[in-house]
Amino acid sequence: MNEASLLEINALHADVAGKEILKGLDLAVRPGEVHAIMGPNGSGKSTLANTLMGNPRYAVTGGEIRFLGDELIGMAPDERARRGLFLAFQYPVAVPGVTVVNFLRQAVNAVRGEEVPVREFREELFAKMELLKVDRDFARRYLNDGFSGGEKKRAEMLQLAMLQPSMAVLDETDSGLDIDALRTVADGVNALMNQDMGLLLITHYQRLLNYIKPQFVHVLIDGRIVRSGGPDLAEELEANGYDSIETAVSSA
Amino acid sequence: MSVAPSTVASALTPKASRALGDALNDVPTVSAHRTQAAEALNKSAMPSPSHDRPWKYVDPAALELDGFVPSLGTNPSTDNPTTIEGLSVTPFEEAGREGALGRLGKAVAVNSNRISALHYAFLQNGLLVETKPNTEVPEPVRLTREFNTAGALVTPHTLIVAGDNSRLSIIEEYRSCDEPLAALPVVELLVGPGAVVHYTSLHHWGTKTRVFSEQRAITERDSAVRSLSLVTGGLLVKSHIASSLEGRGSSSELYGLSVGASDEHIDFYTLQDHIAEDTRSDLLFKSALGDRSRAVYYGVTKVGLEGRRSDANQENRNLLLSRSAKADSDPVLEILTNDVARVSHGATAGPVDEEELFYIQSRGLTREGAVELLVRGFLGEPLDRSALVESVRQELNAVIEAKLQALGAEA
Repeated sequence: MNEASLLEINALHADVAGKEILKGLDLAVRPGEVHAIMGPNGSGKSTLANTLMGNPRYAVTGGEIRFLGDELIGMAPDERARRGLFLAFQYPVAVPGVTVVNFLRQAVNAVRGEEVPVREFREELFAKMELLKVDRDFARRYLNDGFSGGEKKRAEMLQLAMLQPSMAVLDETDSGLDIDALRTVADGVNALMNQDMGLLLITHYQRLLNYIKPQFVHVLIDGRIVRSGGPDLAEELEANGYDSIETAVSSA
Repeated sequence: MSVAPSTVASALTPKASRALGDALNDVPTVSAHRTQAAEALNKSAMPSPSHDRPWKYVDPAALELDGFVPSLGTNPSTDNPTTIEGLSVTPFEEAGREGALGRLGKAVAVNSNRISALHYAFLQNGLLVETKPNTEVPEPVRLTREFNTAGALVTPHTLIVAGDNSRLSIIEEYRSCDEPLAALPVVELLVGPGAVVHYTSLHHWGTKTRVFSEQRAITERDSAVRSLSLVTGGLLVKSHIASSLEGRGSSSELYGLSVGASDEHIDFYTLQDHIAEDTRSDLLFKSALGDRSRAVYYGVTKVGLEGRRSDANQENRNLLLSRSAKADSDPVLEILTNDVARVSHGATAGPVDEEELFYIQSRGLTREGAVELLVRGFLGEPLDRSALVESVRQELNAVIEAKLQALGAEA
């Protein structure tokens, strides 16, 4: 095992509803690195995101997920979060009755393990909202309730900004965003990224990678990473589609 | 005068009604209603679970009203800014011959069935809350009604008459002892043109109290009524809550909230009746149910032939916090015009959503903390929509919190 890795996934197998989706996936992310996992529909992208965060609907049947040296498999989602793992959801859940500000305050207190003074919290929140260009009355709305697609993704980025994880996984964050919203979200992520943090972008399309530049690109097909490379791999996929790789894999 | 229920022949006779009227020295309006009701007692039938849809899940026989006796109950206490010019809070006995008391029974009629007949035949603790035109009452008027006589049938009546363009907010709190008791409260809201009335009722009945309460608002032109019903106590609490939007441009917001524990049964029947055109209504009733408690919701949104451009929303949500809790939900639309702005409805019942829990847990909150947050949020929504003044909001939060804590203790 590589001691410098933040996140290290070895031979990961996972099932959803009794069907095997991940079939031996390997990946390592070191601090300061941006990785992109690209794959067609049904390749296991969302399963990977949910399995990393510990969604109980997904069952790990083999392999390991090491985060900062510790095994995550079997750990509750909240414990993973408190250790510094963050997942930006593809489809964030609406929580009517719970305001964004109330939710964020509880989440921040839980992750930092201490009560952040109200005033300090507010100042930090307003600064992060400014960074992500979200309106202040956003904070008083119910979390994701009646939010547009773009607002939901921005709310996810606001949570990312407030929780300051050491490893962030962005699941299809570009889906449903128009180009202006995509740019705003990407600018926010770039501003939050730092040398101690790892970032994993999970996406179907290459367009997000025009704004958040990964050093490593991996192609996920049928539950395995079948190719890894640099940013040029994403361009190749954009030009030729997944078909050529799928064909190459199945005939191999 | 305490009598154990169902051990004696019914004390609720026309003769007993007349005797009560004599003892209370009824003013003419009340006397007329009591006499009419006494005559109706033996003629009117109890609603039937098979024929009267709002009674599908509660057989009126379960109220066992005949085992209770009318008792000269505690007078309601009011904590109100009586010094406000244009506002009066008056017991019926002192309301005199003239004025607003003459509208008694306009919203909830004497002889709709045997239960309303019983209410009027044994009516006590009547309160008239009246605002003169253009009066703005800055603070909520508080009415506290407490009943502690075991075996009693209690019949509080609140008649609210809001003058043209007045603003009035009322909080009415019901309490009773933990001995068997039956309560038939009636609330009538007569909202004058352009007036705005906010009415909040807190049902903290004792553990053996059976309640059938009836509330109906009639809104005149461009007026608005908003009501919140909070049920946190009582063996069986059945509430009928209706708004008749008779005036063009008037609106109704009906909110309800209950937390059920042990074997409590909470039953709501609501009616949003769009009689006039350009009327608007919103409704949100939520129940969180623990232990073996049960909630029933049956809601009707009616848009009449004249109800053009009506805008109506009706929502009922039930959260099951234990495997033995149960909820029935039946929202109904009856629309007679094809020119409505919007009519929507929704109903759900189920346990805390696992995807919601996962989402919240993924932000660092423990499963327990996530459940707590979801339940508080669930119950907070009708409170938010009710836009209560801060002190009342705090009070209601504390009541809900105490009830939720008690749930945890029994579970």
